[in-house]
Amino acid sequence: MRNAIVVDLDRCIGCFGCEISCKMENNVALGEYWNKVIIEGPHGTFPDVEEYWLPTMCQQCENAPCVHVCPTGASYRNEDGVVLIDKSVCIGCKYCMMACPYGVRNWNKEQRVVEKCTLCQHLTSQGKEPACVHNCPGEARFYGDLDDPTSDAARAIAEAPEGDVHYLKNVGNNPSTAYILSSRFGTWRNGD
Amino acid sequence: MEIAWSLVLFTALTGCGGWLFAGVAIDEFAKKTSKANFVAAIVALVLLIVGGLCSVTHLEHPENMMAALNHPTSGIFIEAVLVGIAAAFVIVYLVAYNRNEMLRRICAVVGAVVGVALSFMAGHSYLMDAVYTWNTMLLPLAYLGTAAASGFAVYALVAAIRHNETTPADMKIAFILLAVGGVAAALTSLLYLTGVMDVADMVLVAVGAVAVGGVVPLACGVAGLKAANSAAVLAAVAVAGALIGAVCLRCAMWMAYVPLENFFGITL
Repeated sequence: MRNAIVVDLDRCIGCFGCEISCKMENNVALGEYWNKVIIEGPHGTFPDVEEYWLPTMCQQCENAPCVHVCPTGASYRNEDGVVLIDKSVCIGCKYCMMACPYGVRNWNKEQRVVEKCTLCQHLTSQGKEPACVHNCPGEARFYGDLDDPTSDAARAIAEAPEGDVHYLKNVGNNPSTAYILSSRFGTWRNGD
Repeated sequence: MEIAWSLVLFTALTGCGGWLFAGVAIDEFAKKTSKANFVAAIVALVLLIVGGLCSVTHLEHPENMMAALNHPTSGIFIEAVLVGIAAAFVIVYLVAYNRNEMLRRICAVVGAVVGVALSFMAGHSYLMDAVYTWNTMLLPLAYLGTAAASGFAVYALVAAIRHNETTPADMKIAFILLAVGGVAAALTSLLYLTGVMDVADMVLVAVGAVAVGGVVPLACGVAGLKAANSAAVLAAVAVAGALIGAVCLRCAMWMAYVPLENFFGITL
């Protein structure tokens, strides 16, 4: 089982709704993020310019460096294959933040522990969608088990042209989160 | 990235302690500066303990540390275990000092091996694919090299103080070790710094690590072979230089932090 999010950048309108809904749903403090939209661009020279929005969050790496380096097992993978953080055993050493290839872990200044996107476990465990997926007005985000061909996420990847499915730079961590971007909207600039 | 001073001091002090005990172990067989060994072992133990405590100060929730038993393969856990094992062998060495020579020698050798390994593993923990400037074996080698210089420098200082009426021949091995440590610090620091970063951006720490941390102990070691009357002064200068160098090398590592990506713009 590989639960993850797939983002169709062709459909993303750059509204930052996923970022806001994540903060609202998970009570993420001002200035902190579990999900952040990066503006990639503009690139090129007028009139040949291009730009896309890149929502970033935990990539649910198959070979998660954060899990490997965590001294206490606070960063762990649950029985559903989701990388999570058990704050009750986090010692606040921040090694996982250093080891994350994408810098998508958050330091909770109030609790003084590391936290990150949980794929909204409190919702998905009840059969609901993560808040960012549910609230995306462009229907650009899909959630599900990538190993289940009937899931929304797996179908989104299967229905996209092969060359349009991208992943962030992979340094052996094998990110699960997929981004769909066709060349008519922009050139993928964030990895493989 | 901000310099993590707790970790800078942890790795510098425990590495120094480990290599200081290596000096003790070498003299257990060379038997040239034996009067220094008991005191040197105590200093090594203090360095290991103080260094270990420095490490704890960077943790926000050290009360959860026992959970490390759940994940005994992490770099932090291995470092902690090595500090504990090295300290344990130093303690047994001290207890056996006047009682059992064989046990004393065994403890000296094993404790020294663990202490030296600790200095390497302290740098090895930072090898991660996410950070270009850390992900090289030159980093733990530089940690090891700078620790060798500082540890042997402290040993030479203790030996010079404890053997104030000694002959130049008695201090010869201590100063040779000091010179070797200086060469190791200079070479490994130079290789790491020039290998992963633009040294021009951080001239001060580069000079501190290579020249102050490596060349100064080397020069003191060479000078000590010829001027035994100044042994304590030379060793003291070498200790200062080697520790400054060890700290500079570690600061350079933190200052040169370049992550693969930093989408959240986090400043650690």
